Amino acid sequence: MNDAMTTAARTNFSAWDWAIVVAYLLISLAIGLYVKRYATTMTSYIAAGRGVGVWLGVATMSGTEMGLITVMYNAEKGFKGGFAAFHIGVLAGLVTLGVGLSGLIVGPLRELGVLTIPEYYERRFGRKTRVLGGVVLALGGILNMGLFLKVGSMFIVGVTGLSHAGWAVPLVMTGLLTLVLVYTVLGGMISVVVTDYVQFVVLSCGMLLATLLAISQLGWTTIFEEIQLQFGAGGFDPLASPAFGPEYVVWQAVLGLVGCAVWPTAIARVLAMESPTAVKRQFTWSSIAFAIRLIVPCFWGICAFVFVTRVVPELGPWFGVGEGELAAGQEPVSALYAMPIFMGRLLPVGILGLVSAAMIAAFMSTHDSYLLCWSSVIVQDIIAPLRREPLSIAARVRLTRLLIVLIGGYIWAWGLFYEGGDDIWDYMAITGAIYFTGAFALLIGGLYWRGASSSGAFCALLAGCSAVLGLGPIRSPVARWLLTLTDRPATQEAADTLLSSARVGLLSVAFTLTVFVVVSLLRPDNRSAATTAAAHRGE
Amino acid sequence: MVWVSIWKVVLVVSLALFAMLTIITTLLGAADIRRLFRRLNDEHDTPDR
Repeated sequence: MNDAMTTAARTNFSAWDWAIVVAYLLISLAIGLYVKRYATTMTSYIAAGRGVGVWLGVATMSGTEMGLITVMYNAEKGFKGGFAAFHIGVLAGLVTLGVGLSGLIVGPLRELGVLTIPEYYERRFGRKTRVLGGVVLALGGILNMGLFLKVGSMFIVGVTGLSHAGWAVPLVMTGLLTLVLVYTVLGGMISVVVTDYVQFVVLSCGMLLATLLAISQLGWTTIFEEIQLQFGAGGFDPLASPAFGPEYVVWQAVLGLVGCAVWPTAIARVLAMESPTAVKRQFTWSSIAFAIRLIVPCFWGICAFVFVTRVVPELGPWFGVGEGELAAGQEPVSALYAMPIFMGRLLPVGILGLVSAAMIAAFMSTHDSYLLCWSSVIVQDIIAPLRREPLSIAARVRLTRLLIVLIGGYIWAWGLFYEGGDDIWDYMAITGAIYFTGAFALLIGGLYWRGASSSGAFCALLAGCSAVLGLGPIRSPVARWLLTLTDRPATQEAADTLLSSARVGLLSVAFTLTVFVVVSLLRPDNRSAATTAAAHRGE
Repeated sequence: MVWVSIWKVVLVVSLALFAMLTIITTLLGAADIRRLFRRLNDEHDTPDR
């Protein structure tokens, strides 16, 4: 954003709003410090003593999964794809409801009483699978959260009307990261679930209020009419939309399933619940939040689009929408800025501070859970199994805290230096797929197929890494190279059509499942039946 | 247009369900927190598994 853009994007954010945000952050910090005294064992530090009830479980899972990054990438999808992007949230909600009603994966996993997913790998497939699973999980997961900090900071910069050029984004990144690190390091999962609860309440009220204000300001009918005018039928029909299409819709259904039943931060909530029955109820109720966390921000993105095209058309050229062109020397800005600027212009003083605090709450509740999850996996599933001497509880907690800080340093640096062209959601889907394609095969196969073998599991974890081909900086050159082999023009558009991130993701899932089944059949595990029985007894 | 009607219904129903979930979770979640703290207090001296 240069000066002209900054002027056009000026918001209502005032000193009162800053005061509300700061007060909220201090309260969160105080909670983290207060609950520190309970984090005395590894079970209490990373699984809250396995004492989380259904409704606290719903709050903490929803608080975690409704992160600011979620709000931002769905707003981006709504801004670029209109109402057709709603299919992402609807599919996620329906799939989560199915998991809650059936207990698929999550029910048996909680019954086993493991602390992490790789711990399950060891019980079912042996130690080397646990270590490899831990490495793949940590790599995919940490890469996945690489842009969280930057995108969250872009929201704050956008909503407050600060200029992103220069110091603002790095400074906000540093401040937010420091705050999250302090209370996550101190309190562990107990701190996380309690602050998640507070954050869920603030965030939910803020989201509902902002949505109602957006509708009242822009007009219910106007919003639908404008999308019809600008996008045509593709703005509503995901199968006909040039931004989505049938392949993309199927990919979203897969993401919906793994997002709730395989993704480690969701599973961390499963493992902290007091019983398998509570887990099923938690998922059934959380399905609402799983849909809302995608639908409401997507609607904000749609409203931001209508705001830009109808209310402030001078902003249109900056985002590549509407009529008009940028002057020479002016550069377009990321569509990610559209929603926060819209919120900053729409909401009155006070309400803006509350909604911003809610968004920062969303940011923090995601970061604390992710930081705790990846660091505990590295300690529990990579470092501890590889050591000859047992690691004491105190040493494990100390190491987990150190890793939280190191991962925090990585996401700070990655956010500043990574340059990729993918939408944020597509970047996250593909980096997540590095982990979840293998994990999905191992969990489904391990829990429900007696023929699944250790060799099949090991090879499936490696095969899942093929998803990295879907990352923009890797996918584009590969697609162009494939085009040259067929003597077709290697344009960017042709490359994107040949190898979309959705196509790479689906191919990677199919490849991994095939590898798992074929290798399990070719190299069966003699101990398979006995191990399965032992695992299901929780031995 | 069918899709327009579908998304209107989805949006209204989602917001209504979300408001209901927020109220229920706020009230019952607070009770769960009190229970969690009681339990952690009781288990304070129990050895880790």
